[in-house]
Amino acid sequence: MTDHPQRARRRGQGELEALVLSALREADGPATAGWVQEHLGGDLAYTTVITILTRLLTKGAVTRERAGRSFAWTPASDQAGLAAHKMRRVLDGESDRGAVLASFVTGLGPDDERLLRELLGRVEGEGED
Amino acid sequence: MGVFVFLPLVLPLTAWPIARLAEQHLHPRAATRLLTTVAVVTAVCSTVCLGLLMVVGTAQLPGNPLPDGWSDPEVREAVPYDEVAGRLAIPALLAVLLACARTLGRHSRVRRGAHRALTGLPDTEVAVLPDAVPYAYALPGGRRGRGGRVVVTTALLSSLEPAERRALFAHERAHLVARHHRFLLAVQLAARANPFLRPLRTAVSYTAERWADEDAAQAVGSRRVVARAIGKAALVSRGTPVATLAGFAAAGPVPRRVAALLDPAPAVRSWPSVFTSVGLAAWAAAVGAAVSAMSSANSAVTMFLILYAATPL
Repeated sequence: MTDHPQRARRRGQGELEALVLSALREADGPATAGWVQEHLGGDLAYTTVITILTRLLTKGAVTRERAGRSFAWTPASDQAGLAAHKMRRVLDGESDRGAVLASFVTGLGPDDERLLRELLGRVEGEGED
Repeated sequence: MGVFVFLPLVLPLTAWPIARLAEQHLHPRAATRLLTTVAVVTAVCSTVCLGLLMVVGTAQLPGNPLPDGWSDPEVREAVPYDEVAGRLAIPALLAVLLACARTLGRHSRVRRGAHRALTGLPDTEVAVLPDAVPYAYALPGGRRGRGGRVVVTTALLSSLEPAERRALFAHERAHLVARHHRFLLAVQLAARANPFLRPLRTAVSYTAERWADEDAAQAVGSRRVVARAIGKAALVSRGTPVATLAGFAAAGPVPRRVAALLDPAPAVRSWPSVFTSVGLAAWAAAVGAAVSAMSSANSAVTMFLILYAATPL
C-alpha cells in the first residue's frame, strides 16, 4: 500500500490525469473521488485521486459540487481539450519555440502580409492545375 | 603558425555567401544537407581551436592541473598573444559549453513536454487539438524514429480546404520522415558554438521548410495547393509578428516559400553546371567553404600536434 503513491509518481502526472479524467467520463453524471478510485481498480491511493482531481480542477478540466460531506466531480472538457491546454502551456513556456519545433508557418514581417495576399491572388487567378 | 591559429574562429564568416547561394539555387534537400555539414564542421573546428588556445594560454598559470610542457616557450611561440588569448579563451569556451548544454536541455524539455501533453489521446499519427489558436508542427518521436506525431489545432484545420489539409499533413510528415529536427538541432548548436554561424542556422531552417514543401507538393501532386495551404495558414496565424525593423525587412520566409512553390519545381540534380554564372558562383563559394573548413581543421590539428609533442610521456 505504501508504495502506491511512488508507483503513481513514476507513471507520470499527465498519464494519471488522463486516466482519472477518462474514468470520470465513464460515470453517469457526477462521481465522487471514492467512485473514481474504485473504478480504476483501487490502483491509486484515495489521496492521490483527490490530488489529481484538484489539479484537474485548477486546469479547468473538471468541475465539482458539494454532495453531502464530500464533492461530486464532473468532467468539464474531454481529453483532447486537456491535451490542448497542456500543449499551449508547453509552447507558451518557450520564448523561442521555433528553435525546437519546426512549425508549419512562422510569423509574418511588416510587408509579408501584403506580399502574401498578392501571391495568393496569383494562385486563385491562375486557377487549379 | 602565427595568427593562423585564430583562423578557425573567424573562417565561419566565409560560409555566409555559400548560405545565400545554396538557399537560392540548390534543391532544398541538397542545400539543407550541405549547409548543415559546413556548419557542424566549422563549429567543431572553432571549438577545438578555442580549447587548444585555452590550454596553451593557461598552462603556465599557477595551480592548474595541465602538464607544464604545454606552456613550453616553443608551444607559446606558436600562439601570438598567448597570455591574453588564453585567458580570453576560458570564458569563451565556458560560454560555448553552457550555451550548447542549454540548447540541448531546452530541446529535450520541449519534446518531452509536448509528448506528455498528448498522453491520453488515441495513439494516432495526427493529433488534433481543440484550440482557438491556429498552429501545426511535427513532433519528432523517440529513438528509432517511431512515434513521431503531427500536432495540429482545429482552428488551423477549419481554415483550410480538404486538399490543403492533405498538403499540411504531407508537409509535416515529410519533416518526420526526413528527421529534419536533427538538422535544425545541429545548426543551432553550431550557431551557439560560434555566433558567426548564425546565418547558416537561419538558412537551414528555411531550406528545411522548403524541403518539406517540395515533398508535400509531390505527395499531393500540386504545387499550388501547398502554396495555398501555407499562405492561408500564415494569414490566420499572423497574430505574432516577427520582430524586424519595419521598412527594412526583406521578404520573410513564408512569402518566399509560397513564391518558390509558384515557380517550377527545382531541379533534383544537386549542383548547377560550372559553365553558367550561377554555377560558377556556387562552385567558387563551395570551394571557398571547403578550403576554409580544411584550413580550420588544419590549424586545429597543428595545434594539437604541437601540444602532443610537448607533452612529457
